[in-house]
Amino acid sequence: MDTKALNQRVSAARRDAEARGETFYPGPSRIHLASFPPKERWDDWVELDSKAWPGRRVEKRYMLVPTTCFNCESACGLLAYVDRETLQVRKFEGNPEHPGSRGRNCAKGPATLNQITDPDRILYPLKRAGRRGEGKWVQVSWNEALDDIAARIRRAITEGRGNEVMYHVGRPGEDGFTERVLAAWGVDGHNSHTNVCSSGGRAGYHFWMGVDRPSPDHANARVMLLVSSHLEAGHYFNPHAQRVIEAKQQGAKLIVFDTRLSNTATHADHWIAPHPGSEAAILLAIASYLIRRGLYDREFVRRWWNWEEYLACEHPERPATFETFEEILRGLYASYTFEFASQESGVDAAALEDVARTVASAGTRLSTHTWRSAAAGNLGGWQVPRTLFLLNALLGAVATEGGTYPNAWNKYVPKPIYVPPHPTTWNGLTWPIEYPLAINELSFLLPHLLKDGRGHLEVYFTRVYNPVWTNPDGFSWIEMLTDERLVGCSVALTPTWNETAFFADYVLPMGHGPERHDLHSYEQYDGQWIGFRQPVLRAARERLGERVTDTRQTNPGEVWEENEFWIELSWRIDPDGSLGIRKYFESQREPGARLAVDEYYAHIFEHSVPGLPERAAAEGLTPLGFMRRYGAFEITRKVGALYETPVPLAELQDVHVSRFGRAYTRAAKPPDPNIVPLGSPEPDAEGRRPVGVRVDGEILRGFPTPSGRLEFYSRTLVEWGWSECALPTYLRSHVHPGALEHDQMVLISTFRLPVQIHTRSANSKWLDEIAHTNPLWIHPRDADPMRLRTGDLVRVETEIGHFVVKAWVTEGIRPGVVACSHHMGRWKVQGAGQRQAMATVTLGRAEDRWELRRERGVAPYASVDPDTLRIWWTDVGVHQNLTFPVHPDPISGQHCWHQAVRVRPAGPGDRYGDIAVSTQRAHEVYAKWLALTKPAERHSPDGTRRPYWLMRPLRPSRDAYRLPDRRTPEPAPVAGE
Amino acid sequence: MHPAVAKVDHIASGPTPRPAKWAKVIDHTRCVGCHACTVACKSENEVPLGVTRTYVKSVDVGVFPQARRAFQVTRCNQCDDAPCATACPTSAMFVRPDGIVDFDKSICIGCKACIAACPYDAIFINPEDHAAEKCNFCAHRLDVGLEPACVVVCPTEAILVGDLSDPTSRVAQIVHREPVTVRRPEKDTQPKLFYRGAHQATLDPLAARRPDGGLYMWSEQGTGPGDVPAGVAAPWNNTSAAALLSYDVPHTAPWHWRVSLYTWTKGIAAGTYLVLLGLLLGGVVSWSSALWVWVAPVVCGVALAATGGLLVADLKHPERFYLIFTRPQWGSWLVRGAFIIAAYSLVLALHFVGSLFGWRDLQRALGAPGAVLAVLCAVYTAYLFAQAKARDLWQNPLLPLHLLLQALIAGAAILLPFAGRLEPAAVPPLLGIVGAASLAHLLLVLGETTLPHGTAHARLAVREMTAGRFRTVFWTGVGLGALAVLVAAAVLGVLATPIAGSAAAVAALALVGLLAYEHAYVQAGQCVPLA
Repeated sequence: MDTKALNQRVSAARRDAEARGETFYPGPSRIHLASFPPKERWDDWVELDSKAWPGRRVEKRYMLVPTTCFNCESACGLLAYVDRETLQVRKFEGNPEHPGSRGRNCAKGPATLNQITDPDRILYPLKRAGRRGEGKWVQVSWNEALDDIAARIRRAITEGRGNEVMYHVGRPGEDGFTERVLAAWGVDGHNSHTNVCSSGGRAGYHFWMGVDRPSPDHANARVMLLVSSHLEAGHYFNPHAQRVIEAKQQGAKLIVFDTRLSNTATHADHWIAPHPGSEAAILLAIASYLIRRGLYDREFVRRWWNWEEYLACEHPERPATFETFEEILRGLYASYTFEFASQESGVDAAALEDVARTVASAGTRLSTHTWRSAAAGNLGGWQVPRTLFLLNALLGAVATEGGTYPNAWNKYVPKPIYVPPHPTTWNGLTWPIEYPLAINELSFLLPHLLKDGRGHLEVYFTRVYNPVWTNPDGFSWIEMLTDERLVGCSVALTPTWNETAFFADYVLPMGHGPERHDLHSYEQYDGQWIGFRQPVLRAARERLGERVTDTRQTNPGEVWEENEFWIELSWRIDPDGSLGIRKYFESQREPGARLAVDEYYAHIFEHSVPGLPERAAAEGLTPLGFMRRYGAFEITRKVGALYETPVPLAELQDVHVSRFGRAYTRAAKPPDPNIVPLGSPEPDAEGRRPVGVRVDGEILRGFPTPSGRLEFYSRTLVEWGWSECALPTYLRSHVHPGALEHDQMVLISTFRLPVQIHTRSANSKWLDEIAHTNPLWIHPRDADPMRLRTGDLVRVETEIGHFVVKAWVTEGIRPGVVACSHHMGRWKVQGAGQRQAMATVTLGRAEDRWELRRERGVAPYASVDPDTLRIWWTDVGVHQNLTFPVHPDPISGQHCWHQAVRVRPAGPGDRYGDIAVSTQRAHEVYAKWLALTKPAERHSPDGTRRPYWLMRPLRPSRDAYRLPDRRTPEPAPVAGE
Repeated sequence: MHPAVAKVDHIASGPTPRPAKWAKVIDHTRCVGCHACTVACKSENEVPLGVTRTYVKSVDVGVFPQARRAFQVTRCNQCDDAPCATACPTSAMFVRPDGIVDFDKSICIGCKACIAACPYDAIFINPEDHAAEKCNFCAHRLDVGLEPACVVVCPTEAILVGDLSDPTSRVAQIVHREPVTVRRPEKDTQPKLFYRGAHQATLDPLAARRPDGGLYMWSEQGTGPGDVPAGVAAPWNNTSAAALLSYDVPHTAPWHWRVSLYTWTKGIAAGTYLVLLGLLLGGVVSWSSALWVWVAPVVCGVALAATGGLLVADLKHPERFYLIFTRPQWGSWLVRGAFIIAAYSLVLALHFVGSLFGWRDLQRALGAPGAVLAVLCAVYTAYLFAQAKARDLWQNPLLPLHLLLQALIAGAAILLPFAGRLEPAAVPPLLGIVGAASLAHLLLVLGETTLPHGTAHARLAVREMTAGRFRTVFWTGVGLGALAVLVAAAVLGVLATPIAGSAAAVAALALVGLLAYEHAYVQAGQCVPLA
């Protein structure tokens, strides 16, 4: 077959495509070659088979169907190449129509193919046959599973035990769908993974700006400061890496704080490797430098910080002038010298001063970002984002080009078809009274709270979540999950086996990324977009004219997707509508019928996404058709500094302006189809809603904080008993050198590997082949005295047990600190499981003493995929998280991951992968950290459980916030109290 | 030239009528080490586990807190002067007019000559289809107007493809305007893969120390027979900077025991004939001697058949061995060698026909071409090995002499037991040849192992041979060879007439020693990491 003739028909090259009037997608090489086929040909695109090439030019015809990657939180676009002959996916590439990922992906994107073809995946609903955790399963029908689970939930709801229904999610991958389901059920049953992840990061941002996430505009920055390894991991790896490198190539400077040599650190112009926990001290030293030298943006600080409120509350005797504040500000941070920061961090003071000078040179183009990292590692870690954002706040680099935005302005959550009311109950298992300021659910304390007799779970769902493996103290989770007195029925919604599913009652297979619907939007640059995840084979068959009514019809085996599952389950909970649940899952077009996913999303795309209907119409498509074809839609870009926007007159009725400038109005809030979560400051005493803030006489939109300004001073923290933390400050970590015994080191256990993602990527052979173990990083200065060489076994002792792992002796880590990636150490006991990346282990238990012994690593095996016979690696790493007790930060509720450990050469009885833990000891450590809290019942200023203005997933009604009346003796607390 | 090439005279309607010259830039000032290229390539080209067309090597350089991780996207260099194409016997590896080194799996015989020849270890045998493959710039995509899969996937646009002849292409701009490097320019292959911002510690395969314990930063090194782990064991780094290999993939040597054994059987086949001709010309035996009439064609024939058998058996596609003859690529010494062997076997066959029919004149007339072919048969392997451009141990001008001496040792040794029975008078001269050739060979080996080497690669190979992985088999070979010399000398000098069995002992020592040495040499030549 002749190439020229072929090209006339199919070439994607510029001249050929443009000659046919089709889209040319320029690639990075900026030549005539395209990066993607013209979108006009996505129904029927011809490529040459790479395997037959060049001996035979075999033409393959594909349908290109967009979806969204589900391998991390970035939600990058994917294009599935669906073979028109076999109707199977041949490969996944990026989606050039996706504004966040712009057609590019990390390794995990194309590896999605491995996941859908994984020979070990779960294809049918399974029900436990033996004891919990025994590993015996029988296949059941979806009907049987749904009826059983629905009956339990219905009973719990009708008996007033609705909060015994809990949905525990790891990576949501969607905005709002499931929260809507729980609200419809009227249960406060949402539980997230966030407090083992980003609560520390969120808290620091939330107290500043009323929004709990940053959105750095790296691409336009002059200086980027990352307290993280965002070039290889994290929110949002690929979209941010693109933009960080873009800025670097344009001359921007990159500053990275990372105790170990990450791929990100290697690209830094300034790599700062501090002692873990000292990050805030360094950031304050930089702030102090900016303040001392007068290098900050005075006008911005004067206009946008709540300094007047600070002066009034803390220095009422002083004149309420900005100059007074500046004078006090200088005094506040005077002690944070570079020498002090150097002493705390171990980093050379001159290097810190260099960094400060670089930061000062950024002007308003300073993009900063931290998310987990130090914020998730340390007691008081939430002050890392608070002190980091202080730099933006000093330089006025807030929502500026090249600065850092509140994420809510770069995110769009369209309003769905029905909005059920807020649940009217409060779940004390997820929001315990000790943690009124926790940014998210105290999810990882669940086993301990249940052990304390605080409640019972009737139905416990886990979804894209594996607490036994992911959370600290997994053995306590096993104890909880196997105790039928604590958990009535546990349901693992998962596409693939995991350590938690092994202990479940039902394992219900849900689709991988390309086998399900989800809608999402993430802040990856200064703009707003939505991304649509869809089951690609379903979409492909619909394009071919087939009618698909249920995603199971096109998914492998009986694999389903959650959207349809929740709708069906809700119908079975309330079959006759008497509970008032069913109505939220009924079709509007066809009353009395179940709401179909098509209608759910069509409604959103038609009514809640500005510009989408017009754009779709321009292409002759319905809004849903447009999203099915392109997978993403950019609503706007260059949002800019919304806080500076004047509030329109229409919104200003009977305005009241508070002493510090907060403006309240009687005008109703104009309808907004974007329901992105934000802080919700309280109305004034007369019930007017906060609408803006008066700045220099003008009422501007401001920030969603109580003061309407950036809260340098958090009155919330003061009122709830934490006045010492009200300003950006440095709190000494639980792993501060002063807190360590002489023979202890700090273990960093949180770092990611660029090609893996928690427990979700073990079913990707291409990723497993690249990364399959997690040796302990240790500096030669620490290794040499123990005569440790790389590969030698070491025993790492934590507060509650130990694990045995191999050593990796490296110059890439600070002496005195060891590090072990949490992306490894998957295991299975016997029988079912993932065979490419799970070791087979035996679990032993004597009272509270648990032991895990590795029997064997992985080995080649026969399957439908010939590649499984070529597995050449044997090691899968060690599951260190089992040996960590819970460390809830008393304010943010974040689990503080860093561990004080003793590292010794392994003893004669130690074998690789050995783990030993005492869950009794774990419970004692929990009690010790619980004692650090300031419970609402003693510290609440207003008789509520939590400041109402703080964000909260599945926010309950206002009444539910009220603390139980203490005059009547409280019954033993139960869930739903 | 491959038939497909003719049609690819014009790539995808490029913007210029100039002949295209495809090149790539890997920009390590942008690469964040995410391995997306590796996985996208596996997906696009359906590359099985255990092998890669491209991967991201990394080396941790420096001492805390001044340290960095240097990456190297490692793959085929698309050499303008591609040693793989030169070495390929069937043109399965070929250079397209636009500069892309492509391959046609349907005509690959799986001889691994390309793998041996590649100075970058960028070629492998696909375990599914048993044919050689490597990065081909996704030629099947270029030809329909698409960028390669790795270019498209890269989050940071660190991989660019472009036409060096087109000054407007970003590739040409970077290559011509910025400091770029290529891997191993001393190998004279003119790579068209240019690195921007690459570190010497990754470019030089011997710069980084291999970690202990069979481990990298997050993976195992992979161990198996024939593995060539990347990096070097301390303290042999080829740099004075601290450099630790933190990620690499398993590598294997292309040629295993069959090739070692083939050099030995081929030596017997060539040497037997040559030694006998020597005895004939020296008047030790007559043209009608059974040694010449029967032993020569039978022993040489059997050894040559074994040689051919081993060569065919070593092919990953043995059923396609005939392609060497039907579509020879004359630059390949594998082809030249095959024709030499074929011609030599023809001489031996005619010789045998002469034996059957008593045509002594024919046999005598065949002696001259037979001698030439036997010498060629013995020494062509030196040229074959020399086509392995980066196997520095094999880049030895004395290698033809080595091989010739080896053939003489083997030939004389194999003749000893026959002579003992058929031509006792020939035994002392044969012992003399074994002894003398072995001694000369040992002297060459001594020179080879004790003289300083011009390259770190050769030095490392010699070290692995004499003191490393192959030391046992090497010293066995040298020891037995030396013993053969001593015993032969003793037999000739002390005993007036050889006692029963002593000649056989010399023969056995010489042959086994030779085999051991050749194995050590062939394997040590391939044990130096190239990537």
